[in-house]
Amino acid sequence: MYDVYGFIRGPMVWLSFAIFFGGLLYQARQFYVLTMETSLPRPPASVTGLAKGAVKRSSFDPRTMLFASAHPVLAVITTAFHACIIILPVFLLAHNVLLFESFGFSLFVFPEPVAGLMTWLVIFCGIFFLLRRILFDHVRAISTPYDYAILLIVIAPFLTGYLATRQWFGYESILVLHILAGELMLVAIPFTKLKHGLLFFFYRYLMHYEHTLGRGSRTWSGTTLHKRGNANA
Amino acid sequence: MPDVEKNTVDTAAIATMLQSKDAEMKRILNYCVRCGICAESCFLYMAHKGDPQYMPSYKVINSLGILYKKKGNVDKSFFEGIKGLVWRNCVLCHRCYCPIGIDIPRMIDFTRSICRSQGVYPDHDGGESWL
Repeated sequence: MYDVYGFIRGPMVWLSFAIFFGGLLYQARQFYVLTMETSLPRPPASVTGLAKGAVKRSSFDPRTMLFASAHPVLAVITTAFHACIIILPVFLLAHNVLLFESFGFSLFVFPEPVAGLMTWLVIFCGIFFLLRRILFDHVRAISTPYDYAILLIVIAPFLTGYLATRQWFGYESILVLHILAGELMLVAIPFTKLKHGLLFFFYRYLMHYEHTLGRGSRTWSGTTLHKRGNANA
Repeated sequence: MPDVEKNTVDTAAIATMLQSKDAEMKRILNYCVRCGICAESCFLYMAHKGDPQYMPSYKVINSLGILYKKKGNVDKSFFEGIKGLVWRNCVLCHRCYCPIGIDIPRMIDFTRSICRSQGVYPDHDGGESWL
């Protein structure tokens, strides 16, 4: 057990982070390769004007966008879900202890009750999304096993993390599962639909289309993945 | 140009069209997290009391998505089947909202182009109507 623990806490962590950051860099590079500056009309480049526009059209503005399109309950739940998923692992006490052990520094950490509450929130939201996918006709109509798997990959580290913190069902086994689940999620992010965590910013702020939050300065360049057989050539 | 009278399509031409935009379209199709949030931004979906067939993502996944999945190897009946999805069920009003930034009308537009290239057009004088 300790050999497994040592391996997944050692080399596999570094490998997972390397794939995670390398994969995100690859996706960002691909975005710039496959898109180009557009000459279409767009808002002025003024930084303050842009900031004002972004706030005005922000997903958090209840009069517009997400809150106007989605049901208010869904809008609140999805915002809380995404915020907790990104913030909680970074500012968790246990993770920062490991960070301190490895690099000699740590970040701000949430008090344990707050972290526990946020974990519950992620699990609750995950169950909500699962039930929504099963019970709502319009979501079920476009759902595939892949979508359920993605949800499971995201929820697993939080569920196992909570169980490990509470030391339920055998601490060591659950901890191994937790680390594996976290590493799986890190590796999955750049190469599955989870990449929307990064590409959201590129597509919503840089692409030129109806709902752009930024200047919309880029458009698809029409590059084909195939070297031959380009109909536009 | 395919012979419209015959019940055939030019699969090589479809594949070439699909390839010409695969970097964009395949990428976006794989990027969609299928959250269904686009549904309520579509007035046709709302007007049809939540019929999934009017949901923007449903229209794209079940037309262009299948075309890419089958690499263009489809027959005329496939195009006749998706004709309603891309013309009757969508007016290209550009109001469909995707929280992660997918330009859905662009994909519907491309699907219509492929349909037209195979001699499939909307039924303006048919029995189908928007509402």
